Amino acid sequence: MIEAPTIFQRRIVIGAVMCVAAFALVMVRLVDVTLFRDGPHKHWHGLAEFARADLIDRNGELLARDIPTQDLYAHPHAFDDKAQAARDLALATGADPKRLAAMFTDKHPYVLVARQLTPDAQDRVMHLGYPGLDFQPSARRYYPDGRAAAQVLGVTSLDDDGDMIGLTGLEAGLDAKLQDAAHPVQLSIDMRVQYILAHEVEENREHFHAQQAGGIVLDVRTGEVLGMVSVPDFDPNGYEPKPGDTTHNIIGQDVYELGSIFKILSFALATEDHTMRPDEVFAIGQGYKIGKYTIHEAEHMPATLAARDILAKSSNIGTTQIALRSGPTRQRQFLTTMGLLSRLHTELPEARKPLYPSNWGTIETATISFGHGISVSPLTFVAAAAAVVNGGRKITPTFLKHPEDGRGEQLIKPETSAKMRELLRYVVTNGTGKNADIAGYDVGGKTGSAQKPKLNGHGYTHALITSFCAAFPIDDPRYLVFVLMDDPHGTKETGGFALAGYTAAPLAGRVIARIAPILGVPQRPVITVAPRSST
Amino acid sequence: MIRVLNFFCVALMGLSILALYHVSERTRLAGVELNHVNRQIAEEHSTINVLQTEWGHLASPERIATLAASKLGLDNTATVQLSSLELLPRRGEDAAPLTSSPVRNASVVVPSQTDSGDTH
Repeated sequence: MIEAPTIFQRRIVIGAVMCVAAFALVMVRLVDVTLFRDGPHKHWHGLAEFARADLIDRNGELLARDIPTQDLYAHPHAFDDKAQAARDLALATGADPKRLAAMFTDKHPYVLVARQLTPDAQDRVMHLGYPGLDFQPSARRYYPDGRAAAQVLGVTSLDDDGDMIGLTGLEAGLDAKLQDAAHPVQLSIDMRVQYILAHEVEENREHFHAQQAGGIVLDVRTGEVLGMVSVPDFDPNGYEPKPGDTTHNIIGQDVYELGSIFKILSFALATEDHTMRPDEVFAIGQGYKIGKYTIHEAEHMPATLAARDILAKSSNIGTTQIALRSGPTRQRQFLTTMGLLSRLHTELPEARKPLYPSNWGTIETATISFGHGISVSPLTFVAAAAAVVNGGRKITPTFLKHPEDGRGEQLIKPETSAKMRELLRYVVTNGTGKNADIAGYDVGGKTGSAQKPKLNGHGYTHALITSFCAAFPIDDPRYLVFVLMDDPHGTKETGGFALAGYTAAPLAGRVIARIAPILGVPQRPVITVAPRSST
Repeated sequence: MIRVLNFFCVALMGLSILALYHVSERTRLAGVELNHVNRQIAEEHSTINVLQTEWGHLASPERIATLAASKLGLDNTATVQLSSLELLPRRGEDAAPLTSSPVRNASVVVPSQTDSGDTH
């Protein structure tokens, strides 16, 4: 027979159970704390600030960064006079007063008043002394260099979830990379070059009263874009755009009939195929008939010209004769090889496909040889021109730092490239590019003056698109400078002429004169001729 | 004997509770301190970021160029004013640079009077 437990035995059992329960509780809590709870330091990972990576230039200078700001929210039920509160908060933050008044009276318990308030705006709000206001940390993209690189860097905006996303330019093209806030994205842009290009292009645009202007500086070996400018531009840090401001980047985004600058490619083709010798003489005359069409010169030309002078003086008739020796099929094949008939893919998302005739006959071959009847983006043309001068190898422009040689497949023979460099130098020393000649840096290049097509697509206006494509030092080019002016007007100094030799070539020369020493391009000896005494 | 064991168990449990509470409280205080320090670090980082951004703005080429022109009267240097070490005459060489071979082979001649050549 089993005896019932005594009172002491029961107390012992109860005590033991309590001990076991207490220790079990401690163990459960221990496991919970050590395995399932985050440490206090992890609370900081959720902050909204600095959510997007920095953009820095090739030298490590800051181009774009998220800086902390505050979003303002309100509990409207805390306001005695909601209409007055809406007016005051709108005045302090720049928000729309009608929106605030509607939201405050619409029984919303929690209303977003304004995003990304600056410290000044926060102070103004605090001085109002309203209850029921709530500041939430957020971030705002800031661009220390303002307008100078605005077009190429682009802009950001907040999506529906409050996350910052790139809308245009490299902010959009590099959006995936920029999501990783821990690693800054280093661009190929050199802010010194970018500023000089922006400064000179804007001054030139104002001087010649051009509608738009732009430029690009490219390393022809690596493909790195050191600077890209398009004006009018915009203030990426401003809230309200000024009249005329635009985010439109004409260098990467637009396609143009670039005119005589295309003769670089026509001569490259003829040199590659040996269909022309530089000293071969061509009859120019007053017009060149192809069926019912007649090719004219932009200005008076001698009766005959050697091939190198056809390029130097930019003769349409001479270039037409040279191009027709290659024929439509070969010309189209060559331009396809050079990448001019397809969309160029870079980190810039805004790129348009070239426009060219579907029916590529004799007359099209003639007009395309001097840059009419085909529209390409300046960036696409620059990539092709870089291949012509860099030894004949394909180059794809990039906006990311990539100091290694980026040249790809051989597009034209190295000898063709060498001959083209000689011809381009001849254009600057003896032809339309004289105003781009810079002492100490052997510049080679080509002018382009194209009439702008009418908006209805039929015929041309008298307005010009002028451009200049320069490479230096031309015997072994490292950099290519391309500038473009949309509808420049002649001045008293140019005798009223607005051709590229007057409006674009000097601009390219000034850019080269300022950036070449910065980029460490070896300077050639310069002889200064003593002035003649006027006896 | 059982009473002593009971007393020992209860005392051990009490001590354990006290020790656990002590450790828990110290952990909580350390967490608070860590949060405080983390907040300070974040604020300092934020301030540094803002200051770097301001420095980027103050040291931008556009601002420096404007200040250099307005306060120091500096202007862009013409390329003919620049030279390189290679062009300096070496010790014992003729100091007249025009006799040196690099200059004899100079590719660019800068006339003192502007050419009025026709450009198109």
